[in-house]
Amino acid sequence: MSSAAPPQVGAAAQKPKKVGLTERGRAERKLAWMLCAPAVFVMILVTAYPIGYALVLSLREVDLRFPNEGGFAGLDNYITVLSSGLWWEVVFNTLLITVISVIIELILGMIIALVMHRAIFGRGAVRTSVLIPYGIVTVVAAFAWFYAFSPETGFVNNTFLSPDDKAWFGEKGSALTVVIFAEVWKTTPFMALLLLAGLTTIDEGLYEAARVDGASAWQRFVRITLPLMKPAIAVALLFRTLDAFRVFDSIFVMTRGAQDTQSVSILGYDQLISRLNLGLGSAVSVLIFLMVLIIAFIFVKGFGASVPGQEEGR
Amino acid sequence: MPGRVLSRVVALVAILALSAGLYACGGDAGGGRNTLKFYIFNEPGGGPQKVADQCSKDSGGKYKIDFTFLPNQADAQREQLVRRLGAEDESIDLIGMDIIWTGEFANAGWLDPVPDDVVGPATENVFDSVLATAKFEDRMYVVPIWSNTQLLWYRKDKVDEPPQTWDQMIDVAEREKLKIQVQGNRYEGLVVWANAMIQSAGTEFVSGPTEVALEEEPTKRALAVMRRLGNSAAASTDIDTSNEDSARLGFEKGDSIFMINYPFVYTSAKENAPKIFKEMGAAVYPSVDEGKEAKPPLGGINIGVSAFSKKKDLAYDAIRCMIKPENQITIAEMGGLPPVREDLYDDPKIKKVYPGFADVMRESIRLAGPRPSESPAYTDLSLGIQRGVHPVTKIGDPDAAYEQLRDFVEQAVKREGLL
Amino acid sequence: MKRGTREYTIWSVGIVAIIVAALFPVFWLLMLSLKTPATVGDGRLWPKEFTFANYEALFTGGFYDSPFLRPLINSILIALIATTIAIILASFTAYAIARLNFPGKALVLAGSLAIAMFPPISVVGPLFDMWRALGIYDTYPGLIIPYLTFALPLAIYTLVAFFREIPWELEQAAAVDGATPMQAFRKVIVPLATPGMFTAAILVFIFCWNDFLFAITLTSSKEGAQTVPAALAFFTGESQFTAPTGNIAAAAILVTIPIILFVLFFQRRIVAGLTAGAVKG
Repeated sequence: MSSAAPPQVGAAAQKPKKVGLTERGRAERKLAWMLCAPAVFVMILVTAYPIGYALVLSLREVDLRFPNEGGFAGLDNYITVLSSGLWWEVVFNTLLITVISVIIELILGMIIALVMHRAIFGRGAVRTSVLIPYGIVTVVAAFAWFYAFSPETGFVNNTFLSPDDKAWFGEKGSALTVVIFAEVWKTTPFMALLLLAGLTTIDEGLYEAARVDGASAWQRFVRITLPLMKPAIAVALLFRTLDAFRVFDSIFVMTRGAQDTQSVSILGYDQLISRLNLGLGSAVSVLIFLMVLIIAFIFVKGFGASVPGQEEGR
Repeated sequence: MPGRVLSRVVALVAILALSAGLYACGGDAGGGRNTLKFYIFNEPGGGPQKVADQCSKDSGGKYKIDFTFLPNQADAQREQLVRRLGAEDESIDLIGMDIIWTGEFANAGWLDPVPDDVVGPATENVFDSVLATAKFEDRMYVVPIWSNTQLLWYRKDKVDEPPQTWDQMIDVAEREKLKIQVQGNRYEGLVVWANAMIQSAGTEFVSGPTEVALEEEPTKRALAVMRRLGNSAAASTDIDTSNEDSARLGFEKGDSIFMINYPFVYTSAKENAPKIFKEMGAAVYPSVDEGKEAKPPLGGINIGVSAFSKKKDLAYDAIRCMIKPENQITIAEMGGLPPVREDLYDDPKIKKVYPGFADVMRESIRLAGPRPSESPAYTDLSLGIQRGVHPVTKIGDPDAAYEQLRDFVEQAVKREGLL
Repeated sequence: MKRGTREYTIWSVGIVAIIVAALFPVFWLLMLSLKTPATVGDGRLWPKEFTFANYEALFTGGFYDSPFLRPLINSILIALIATTIAIILASFTAYAIARLNFPGKALVLAGSLAIAMFPPISVVGPLFDMWRALGIYDTYPGLIIPYLTFALPLAIYTLVAFFREIPWELEQAAAVDGATPMQAFRKVIVPLATPGMFTAAILVFIFCWNDFLFAITLTSSKEGAQTVPAALAFFTGESQFTAPTGNIAAAAILVTIPIILFVLFFQRRIVAGLTAGAVKG
C-alpha cells in the first residue's frame, strides 16, 4: 500500500495484512480499475463531456431557428444573462424556494424522524406511509396538489383555508407557496429517513445518563441529539439543498413559469428547448452548474459536511 | 442460487429490450413507403381524420395518411414539433400548424415552400386575413385548411344589444354586476387578446422582422382598456390565470354576461348548460374606439410539408384533397371549425353549423387581424408580449405600462436577452 | 407507554397525522380520477357519481392509438433496462471500492458524489444537440444513457454500504482455495450481495420511473421513447380547449401503483437502502 493516496489511509488500516505491492496486489489493482471503468465512462459521457460542450456552445451564437446565423460570440451570452433583471429575479426565486422548503423540511423531517425512532407502536405504518411521498413520481405529486388548489377542480377553496374563490396560481406569492408546499410534502420523508439514520447511531446510554442527571427531554435533544447528529444533518441539508435548487417538475406542471415563478431550471429549459437558443441556454446551464458548485463548496467548507465520499477516511 | 435468479433477470431484460427494438422497427415498417405521417393535435370533432381517411381511400392506395397526435395547448404542440424538426426528424411529412408558426418554421428551413401548382387551389376564395398567415417573405409556405375566430358571446336575457366597444361592454357588466370572461393567463391566449386590442386601436406590434411599431397613442389606449377590465368588478376572479376553457366554465356557471371566446363554447353550452345556451347570443368582437372597426382575433390551422420529408409530392397530393370545399364543410360539420373559403359561408350546411351566426363568423374572419406570425422570432415576441401585459390586473399607469411593453417587444424582436 | 396515558394519546395523534398527511394526496387523486366530466369541477373530496371512464379512455385505441399504453410500456422497459445495467456496472465499481485497494478510489467516490449533485438542466441542451447528431433522439438508448449516469452514484453508494457489511473472510477463504479475484467475486460475493443489489435496484428503478426533465427534452413521441411523466404533461383533452383532468388523474394513479407495491412489500429494504450511504458519513 505504499502507493496509496492519503485519503485511503483509513481503508488501508482495515487491511493490515497487506504489505508492499505483491503479485496479487497488482492483479487486484488492475481488476479494480477494470471494474470501475464502465461506470466511470458512463458517468463522464453524460456529464463531463456535455458540460464541456455546453461551455463551447455558450461562447457561440447558436439558435436552431436561425440556422444561417452563428459564429463566435465571446462572452456575449454571459453578459446578456448576467445583465438581465429576469435572471436575477429567477435566481432569487430559486434560492427562496430552496431555503424555505429546506428549512421546513428539516424541522418536519426531524419531528418525523423522532417519531419513527421513538414510537413503540405504529412504526411500520409510519415508515410505509411516508415512503409514498418519497417514491411517488414528482409530476404526479405536482398534479395532485395543482388540482387540489386550482379553483376549477380543487377542494382547497371549499375549506376554511380559503373562504373566497382564490386563484392560487394567479399571483406569484400564492403560486410559490403551493410549489413550496408540494416540494415539502414530496421530500420531507427523504429528509426524515436520512435523519433517522443519524438518530440510530446515537448511543442510548447517553440518554440514560442524562436522564439520571435530571435533564429534560428538550435538554437531551439540544445537548445530545443535535450535536451528535450534526454530520447527518449536514449531509441531509447538502443533498436536499442541491436537490431543491434544481426544482423543475412542480413548477412546470403548476404554472409553467407564469406569474414570475420560474426557477433557474425552468429558465434554462425555456431558452434551450422552447427557443432552441442553444448559445444563450448553454450560458444559463453553465451558470447554474457554477452555482451548484459554489453551494456545494460552501457546505463542505462552512458546515464541514463530512459527506459520504469521505467515509473510508472515518 | 440468487446468482441464477440474477442471470435470469438479465436474460429477461435482454429479451424485453430486443422486443422493444422490434416494436420500433415494426412501427416504421408498418409505416410503409406510401404512408404520410400527419402531426396535428387531436381535433375532437374527428373531421380531419375523416377527411384524411376519405382522401387516402380516394387516392387508390397512392398514399395513406397516418395521424400522430400532438398535445392540446398550442405552446406544447409547438414545443414538441420544434424539438423534432430541430433534430431534423425525417418521419414527419405533414404538419398541422397553428397559424402563428409560419415565420419561425419557414425561416428555420423546416418547411417546404408550397409549389406553384398547389398555390392556385390553396388560395382560391380564401380570406385575405387567413392567407396572410400562410406567407413568409412573400412566399407561401403553408396551406390553410380551417380558420377560427373569437366572437363576443352575450346573454340575451341580460342585455338587448351587444356592445360595440370594450368600454361599453365593461359599463354594462359593471351596471349588471356580472362578469366578463376573457383569456388573461400568461400564455398565447393573452397575446391573442393584446394583439386584437393593439390592432383595433390602430397600430401593430411590429412593422418588420426587427422593427417595433407600437405607436404610442393607440398602444396606450389599448392598454388602458385592458387595465380598466383588470381592475373592474366585472373581471372574473381568475382573470390572471384564465384561458379558453376556464372562461367557458365561468360562463356556463351563469354569473357572467359576456365572454370572448371561440365558437366551441356554443356546442359546449348546448350540452353542459342548456339554460344558458338558450340565452346565448353571438356578435362581432368589440373594438377599442367607438366608430372604428374591431380587429377580431384569428385562429386556425395551416398544413405545412416538412422540409425533411421524403414524400413531399405525395404530401401535396394529400393537401390538395384535404382542402377541397366539401372537406372543409365536413370539418366544420363535425368539429365546428370554420372554413377558410369565404364562399362557403353561404352554404346551407355551414349556416346549420353556426345557426344564426354564420354571417357573424364570416364578418369576424374577414375583419380579423393576424398576430405578427411572419416574424421568425415569433415565440420570443409572444413571450415578450406576455411578459409586457401580464397580469392585466396590475397594468400600471399608461406611460409606465407602455414603456414596459415596448421594452419587452424591442428585446424580443432583436432576440436579445432571456425570456 | 400505556394505553390511555396522555403520552400515548399524543403519540397516537402524531402518528395518525403523519400517515394522513402522507397518503392524502393519493386519495384525492384517486377520487378525482373517478369523477365524471360533469362533476370533475365540483371540488368535492368524495365524488357524487363514480365512473371508470377516465381509466377506460386511457386504453381505448389499443396499442397504436391509446394515449397511455405506449408510454407505460416505454416507462417500464426503460426503467428496467436502465436499472439492470446500472446495478451491474455499479456492483463492479462498488465491489472494487469496498474490497480492493487501488489508487483513484477516492476520486471515483468523490466523482460519483459530484454527479449525484449535478444539475441535469446543465446537460440537457448539449445532450439534445448530441443526440440529434447521433440519431438517438427519442429512442430508448437516448434516455437510458442519462438515467444510467444519474442513477449510478445512487447505486454505487448504496452498494458500497451493503458490500462493506458482507463477511470479508469468505472471500479470503476462497482466495486461499486458489480462486482468482474474479472467481471469488462471482462465486462468493454475488450471492451474498444479492439482497443489497435488489435494494439498490428498487431505488434506481424509482429514480428512473420518476424522471421528468430528460423525458420531456430527449423524447417527443409515444412511438419513440416518451415515458409516462412526459406523456402526462402533454395529454390531450376532449377538445382543443378543455383540460383532460380526469384522464391525467387516472394515469397518475396508475403510475403510482408500482410505487405503492414497492413500498408495501419492500419498506424495510428501501429504508435500509436510503439510510445505508448516509449513516457511514
